[in-house]
Formats: sequence, C-alpha cells, structure tokens
Amino acid sequence: MTNGFVRRYIFSTDHKIIGIQYILTGLIMAIVGAWLAVLIRLQLGWPEHQWVFLSRLLPKGMPSGVMTPEFYLAVVTMHGTIMVFFFISYVLVSGFGNYLVPLQVGARDMAFPFLNMLSYWIALLSAVVMVLSFFVEGGAAAAGWTAYPPLSAVASAVPGSQMGQTLWILSMALFIASFTMSGLNIVATVFSTRAPGLSMMRLPLTVWSFFIASILGLLAFPPLTAGAVMLLFDRHFGTSFFLPSGLVVAGKLLPNTGGSPLLWQHLFWFLGHPEVYVLILPALGIAFDILPAFTRKPVFGYRISVWCLVAVGCLSMIVWGHHMFVSGMSPFTGEYFSLVTLTITVPMTIFGVNMLASLWGAKLELRTPMLFALSVIAMFGSGGFGGLFLGNATADMQLHDTYFVVGHFHMMIGGVTLLATFAAIYFWFPKMFGRTMNETLGRLHFWFTFGPFFVIFFMQHFLGLQGAPRRYYAFTAFDYLRDTRGQNLAISIAALLLVSGQLLFLVNFVWSLFGGLAAKANPWQATTLEWTTASPPPHGNFETQPVVERWAYEYGVQTTDGDFAVQTVPARNVPVTA
Amino acid sequence: MNMVMDSRSLAASQPGAVSLREDQLRLGLWMFLATVTMLFAAFVSAYIVRRSGTDWRQVQLPAMLWVNTLILAVSSVALEAASRSGFRLRWRQAELAMGAALAGGLGFLAGQFVAWREMMAAGIYLPTSPHASFFFVITGAHALHVVAALAVLTWGAVATRSGATDVPAWAARMELCRTFWHYLGAVWLVLFALVSLY
Amino acid sequence: MRRSLETALAAALFAVVGIGGVVYGARSWMPPLASRHGAGIDAMLLYLLVTVGGLFLTGYLALAYLIWRGGRRDRIGTRLASHKTEVVLSVVLGLGMAVIAEGGVLGIGMPVWTEYFDAAPPADATVIEVTAQQFMWNVRYPGADGRFGRTAPQLVDETTNPLGLDRSDPAATDDIVTINEIAVPFGRAVRIRLHAKDVIHSFFLPHFRVKQDAVPGMTPEMVFFPTSTGSFELACAELCGLAHYRMRGFFNVVSETQFRAWLSTQAATR
Repeated sequence: MTNGFVRRYIFSTDHKIIGIQYILTGLIMAIVGAWLAVLIRLQLGWPEHQWVFLSRLLPKGMPSGVMTPEFYLAVVTMHGTIMVFFFISYVLVSGFGNYLVPLQVGARDMAFPFLNMLSYWIALLSAVVMVLSFFVEGGAAAAGWTAYPPLSAVASAVPGSQMGQTLWILSMALFIASFTMSGLNIVATVFSTRAPGLSMMRLPLTVWSFFIASILGLLAFPPLTAGAVMLLFDRHFGTSFFLPSGLVVAGKLLPNTGGSPLLWQHLFWFLGHPEVYVLILPALGIAFDILPAFTRKPVFGYRISVWCLVAVGCLSMIVWGHHMFVSGMSPFTGEYFSLVTLTITVPMTIFGVNMLASLWGAKLELRTPMLFALSVIAMFGSGGFGGLFLGNATADMQLHDTYFVVGHFHMMIGGVTLLATFAAIYFWFPKMFGRTMNETLGRLHFWFTFGPFFVIFFMQHFLGLQGAPRRYYAFTAFDYLRDTRGQNLAISIAALLLVSGQLLFLVNFVWSLFGGLAAKANPWQATTLEWTTASPPPHGNFETQPVVERWAYEYGVQTTDGDFAVQTVPARNVPVTA
Repeated sequence: MNMVMDSRSLAASQPGAVSLREDQLRLGLWMFLATVTMLFAAFVSAYIVRRSGTDWRQVQLPAMLWVNTLILAVSSVALEAASRSGFRLRWRQAELAMGAALAGGLGFLAGQFVAWREMMAAGIYLPTSPHASFFFVITGAHALHVVAALAVLTWGAVATRSGATDVPAWAARMELCRTFWHYLGAVWLVLFALVSLY
Repeated sequence: MRRSLETALAAALFAVVGIGGVVYGARSWMPPLASRHGAGIDAMLLYLLVTVGGLFLTGYLALAYLIWRGGRRDRIGTRLASHKTEVVLSVVLGLGMAVIAEGGVLGIGMPVWTEYFDAAPPADATVIEVTAQQFMWNVRYPGADGRFGRTAPQLVDETTNPLGLDRSDPAATDDIVTINEIAVPFGRAVRIRLHAKDVIHSFFLPHFRVKQDAVPGMTPEMVFFPTSTGSFELACAELCGLAHYRMRGFFNVVSETQFRAWLSTQAATR
C-alpha cells in the first residue's frame, strides 16, 4: 500500500500528501503570479522606462525594455486568473482543506481517497495548460480574468483572444472538474466520517468553513462551465450565444446574430461572486481558529459565527448583479442587488466583531501565526468596508471598473486570504513536516508583508475615487489622471518591497523543511484533534480512534497538560464548558 | 494494532447494517447530482433568456427524438424490473433486465447520434440558429452524462451477476444506479420539453 | 522586556495604520463636479467615506488597544462570555452596520438612482448618439431635422464611414459626425444614446459622475444636466483591447451660440 517512493509521495491517496502537493503547487503558481504583479507595477510605476535586462528575458513582451500593451493585458489577465484559481484556491481551499479536514474530524482519510488523488493530478494539468497558454500564437488570454465577450470571443479583438483564450477556457474546465471532485470529497468527509462524539457544533470553525465553501463551489461553478462551453462554441463553431448582430471588429463584419454579451456576465458572476466567498471563508475560519491558541481563552461567539458563515454562503448566491450595475441591466434589478448585497454586511460584521472580541481579556502570545491572524482581522475590516461602497449602486456608478474595485478585491481575496494562508502555513508547518519554522524570519516576514500590502491597496481605493480606471496600461493619456503619477510610483515601490519580503518566507520554508528543529506533537498547545497525534501524523492519522468529548476551544482550564484540554479529554477529567 | 475505524472496517464490524461506504457513495452521488442540476439549470435559463431575442428561429426537430425518449423510458423501466427481480432473488431475470437497461442506454445514445445526423442532413448545424445551437449543446451535455451513467450501470450489472453472494452490497449499488439513471431520464424529459415546446 | 516591545510594535502598527489611513483618505476626492445628479452621488460617497472612515479608525484603534492590553497580561481575564453577551454584541453591531449600509442606500442612494433613471428626459435635451469602437468615440448629432439617419453595419468603411451611415436616407443628410469630440450647450440637459460596434466599452465622464457600459447589441441611454462650462475628458471604463488606456474623448460644455457655431463648422467641413 505505501511501498515505494512513487506510490508514497507521488501517486499517493493519503490526504496529507495530496494536501501538501496542492500547497506546493499553489506556492509555485504564487511565484508566477507575483512575478506577473511585479511586471504590472514596473509598467505602472515607471511607464515608458526601458528595462533593458527584461528585454532579454522577455523579448516579445518587452522589446527594447518597454512592455507592449498586448503583453500588459495578458499579464493582467493571467495575474488575476493564476492568483485566484491556482494560488489561493489550490493552497487554501484544496491544500489546507485536504490536509486538515480528515484530521480535524478524527478520520483516517477523506471519504474518497482515490478521487482525491485524481483531483490533484487534474488540478496540476489545469495549471500546466494555463501556463502553457503564454507560449501560443498571440500569447496568453488578454480579456481580463472576467473574459467578457465579445473581446474574449473574437480572435481579432485582441491578440490573446487567439489560442490563448481557448487554452484558458480548457484550463478552467479542468480546474472546475478538479474542484468538483475535491468539494464532493470534503462535504462527504464532514458528513460521514466524523469521530464518535464529534457533533457538527463541536467542529472547529475551520472545518465548517471548508464545508460551506465546498458546498458553495459545487453549486456555483456549473453556470461558469455552461458559459465556458458556450464561449468556446462562439469562438470556434460559429454560434452566437454571446455575439450580437452587426459586430464590426478590425474592419470585418461578423456573421453572428442575436447573442447577448450580458448573458456571459450573468453566468460568469453567478459563479464569480460565490467564488470569492469560497476563497475567503476558509481564510476566516482558519484565522478564527488560530486566535485562541495565542489568546489562551475560548473564541467569542462560536455558534453565532457558524451561523454567520452559513448566512454569508447563502446570501452570496443571490447578489452577483452588483458586478453589473452599469452593464445595461435594468435599474430595478440594480436596486434589488444593491439592497440584498448590503445585507451581507450583517453576518460579516458580526463575524469580524467576534474575532475582535475574542481578543478581549486575552493573554497574548505574539508568535508568527498570531501576527498574521491578527492582520487578517485588520485586513478583513479594511477591505470589507469597501464593500459598502461598491454594493451601493449609486456610489458604484462612479467607482465601477476603477482602481477602487482593484483595491477592494485585493484586500479581500488577496490580503485576507494571503495573510490567512501564511498564518496557516506557520501554524501547521510543524504538524505537516515535523519541523519548526524560524520564528525570527517569520516575524520579519510579517513586518515586510502587512504594512506594504496595506499601503498598496489602501492607496488604490483612492486612486479609484480620483477616477483611475482598471486595466489601463498607463495613466499618461489623460490630464485628469496626471496627479496619479506620484501615487502609482509609491505603490510600485511598496509592491517591490512586498515581493522582496516574501523571499524571507521562501527561504524560511525551504530551509526549515530540511534543517528546522524537530517539532513536538503539540507545539502550540492547541486543542483540535490534529494536535493529538504525531508530527507528522502516520498514515491513517491516529493510533487509536479519537473519541470527542468537548468543543474545540477548551482553553483557560486547569488540566495536567496546562491551561487547555484537547477535544478528546474525557468529561470526567475536565469539565466540559460548551 | 491499528484500531482506527475506516469506512470498510466500520462496515465490517456491523454486519447487516448499511455500510458506511454505501452511505458515502450515496451522499457523493446526490451532491454530484446537485452540481449537475445547476449545470442544466444554467443552460435552461440561458435558453429562456435567449428565447426572447428577436432573431429566434425554431428549427424542425427530428421525430427520432421521440423514439429516443421512449427508449430511455423503457430502459428506466427495465432497470426498475431488474431491481425488483433482485429483491425477489430472481437473479437470472435481474441479469436480463439489467442487460435490457444497458442496451436501452446505448440505444438512446445511438439514437441521439442519428437524430443529430438527421438534422445536419437537413442543413441544420450548430450555428444555423440559436435554437439549433442550444439544441446541440444541451443534448450533447446530456449525452455526456449518460455515458458516465452507463459506466455506473455497467458496475451495477456486474454486481447483479454475483448478486446472490452479497445482497446488501448489490442493493446499495442498485440504488445508486437507479438514482443516477432515473435522474438523467427526468432531466431528459425537461430538456426535450424545453427544446420542442418553447 | 522583549514581550512588551513586540506588543508595543504590533499595537503601534495598527494604530498608525488606522490613523494614517483616515488622514490620507481625507485628502482624496473626485474630480470637480460638473453635473446636477452628480451632487447626489457625491453626497452618497461623502456619507460613506465619513461613516466608514469612523468605523475604520475605531476598529483599528480597538485592535491596537486589545493587542496592547493582551500582550501585557499574565493571565486571561473573563474566560467565557455569557451567551447573552455574545448575542447582544453581535446583534447590536450587526444591525448597526446594516443600518449604516442600508440606511445610506435607502436614504441617499436610491432616491438619486431612481431620479437618474426614471426621470423623463426633458424635451429640449441635446440628443447625441455615441458609438464606441476600438479605439475611438464616434459622435453623431441628428442635425436640423432632429432625426438620426439609418445606419447599417454592412455600410461600414473604417476610413470614410465608420458609423455605416446610409447616405441615401434623407434623415441622414444633415447628420453631423465627429470623432472623440462632443460639444453641448450649457443650460440644457444632455441625452446620450450609446452604441458599441465591436466589443464592450464604457462611457465614463468622471467630472459628471456618468458611467454606462456600451454593449454591442444594446442601446442604453443616459440623461444628465451639466452645471459647469469647460472641456472635460471622456474615458473608456471597460477593457476593450490594446488601446483601452488611451481611448480619450473631449466633452465640451459651451454657450448656446458657441455650440451652434461649432455645429455649423462641423457640418461645413463634411
């Protein structure tokens, strides 16, 4: 069963190996995505500057050291696509989801281990196809990660809409297949393999968040699948799902009739909006669960927080129209979407407050995972407030498709998720690899990350307020945007600082993998089930079947272990407090 | 000694009770069907939205589709018959009925292929009109799922051949087959009604 | 010693971010306002900036304070809040936020939104048709007959007839076509019919707080009332291809006489 290196570490069906495979793949894709971000910021911070050494590295994209607009648009599109789907989704949702869920529910493995392995290899294939799309004729897709037709449907509309866009669609199809398998697995595992005594309301919030995110993804992805099929057909088989009559592109009249570009937008955003919650819910759940290990007291409002996550999940499926306020949708529909979108502020505020309130009366240990978890709270609030502006149809009229949106979503699905991902890696690294990461490097990494990240994306909100539109190759063509030059320079410098800071993390990660101090079973003195077994856990996870006697937050109690009781400590030994 | 319960050992420790494994498979199937439902719901709503467009031209759909619908219905009936026979421990009959269900499924796919050919022979292709575009895409998506369901049916047929040796295991497999197969039949009825009537 | 330094630094970080954020944000605003309905949008944004700014600062200071206190504590305070406290705090703050958010929408936002969309266009509005394409704005005036002539995509010639104007249509003979330049007389409403020829564009006049996607196959309309004269820039706000970033137009609000003079020069040069 576990003989041989290949069987054990390459084609493994063990959820822990698969989880780590997802995490490593995602981190590599993050490097690609970050490199693309650097290119974007070089262009926007120093437009018209000649980067001679880059002209040798990217002769087609940056001839004589200046980026071409077509390359810029491909970089922007792929940066978004890769970061959303191939970094955050792989590391946070599939990576940590696969790793943590069976452990935290006290199971040997996922419900469907073979399907799990299949999901990873399809995921890897999807990532490879996406990266390969850079190297086809016309380059990578360049219509934005949102791929609105007709721009994405007509090959002559932009170079990336040649084969690049087709490969993008195929890669996304593979991604969705992989995600569906993964999601089915997580839901089935949570439903059917929980340890004896582990009721749903005794689950760590982390598990709840993966559970809800998976259900959300399962229900939300199919409309994008349908849309992607239709877009593929419009591109290659002459259909007119999204292409109306009378299109004249690059001087040529197209034969299509009757299609609606708005139909794509509905299908895309029906997925697109829940997708951001698929990404952020695990981030919030993880941060929520890391807090008590470093406050040494139970979280505030666990049950209410569960209901908040459920509410957000449900609401997220009926608000997609707030991406389309100025799209030509009926104003009445706009009113509906505005009112309903803003109801999401209720569960999200309650959840944020619960995280803050969990710090009340705490005895804080500011270790690296905690620093990142605290910054999740900060970033969540900051970015979340932007939602009040964008969900408001009236305000959105001025802010739609400006840098305000860019700032907002980067804080949420770039910031909250990134910071939570780091918190998760620092927190669970000892469990995963049996080694300890360097604490000093970790803290330095934090200081290089939160500050610059905040500066970049906070400033972008105000760039948007000043009227700077998205996806602009440069702001030099407009007088009213002249004043943004200084801000863009500052943002680009902060971005370079941010990216260089990540080297601290990479060095720490790789070095600790091979040379870190050996880790104990429960280095953080935490209460959930994964900490009751060895670091790393053996195949099968637990020596004996865990039996759960209490909730996941039994901190601040007197026990033989110290000031906490793991979930398996019998009730007769330590009273159960919730 | 490793005493951790996994799905198999748990099942083995409780003979006669419904195996955890089958529970998980059933759960997995229902969630997969929820996903599939969303896919067809997306196509159906796109169809409805597009229907109100000015250039909609209804194309003539081949009568073959009615035949295919009948074949699919018969195949579902055969599957039910196989299930009943199995519960009555009439394994020979069950095997034959499963064979009929499989044949029906294959027949449906062949018939859909013929229907497509007929349309193309009449000059109706994917881009001919939005109605045609949706017809091909929707029936194509449905057919792909039928292919997957045929694989599941084959798995059920194999279990039926040795059904006598482990009736509960066979019953669990049959339930999965029936759920998936009848689901796709019901979806076909909805899709067929949509493309023919609306 | 080390612990209190870490605590101080972390608390300081969040305090600085919170205070710095509002100070920085308070100095930022939109381009000068030039339309009537825009005052409502500006009011909406001001309301949000002030309320959110206050919440932002409060949140960051609370976080900084909690880190400061927590980092200096040797034992935890109250271990578990009562269920009542959890519910009350959650409900009160959750509802409070809902009131701020929805209150803003219902109180300020919706009236502006409905006024903008539902108000019937005044009869004397200057009617203009704008057709966006890669990468310019085709502008058309109906001319003296007040009617737009027929256009057909088959008649499009990118050099001589980008709009595909059917010159045999009598209504088209007096149509005035310009590229990237719109002039309107001050004192009258503007009514714009938006088309797109190839991909989705978006008609964005930042000074007028006007933004509307130009979607191929659709003809959205917007009506607004300029409140200043001058020359204002028009930008594209939906990714449309390579030159999306320099799809620049000019929207000039001039006096009635200057407008008529300009129109006649455009007609003469045709």
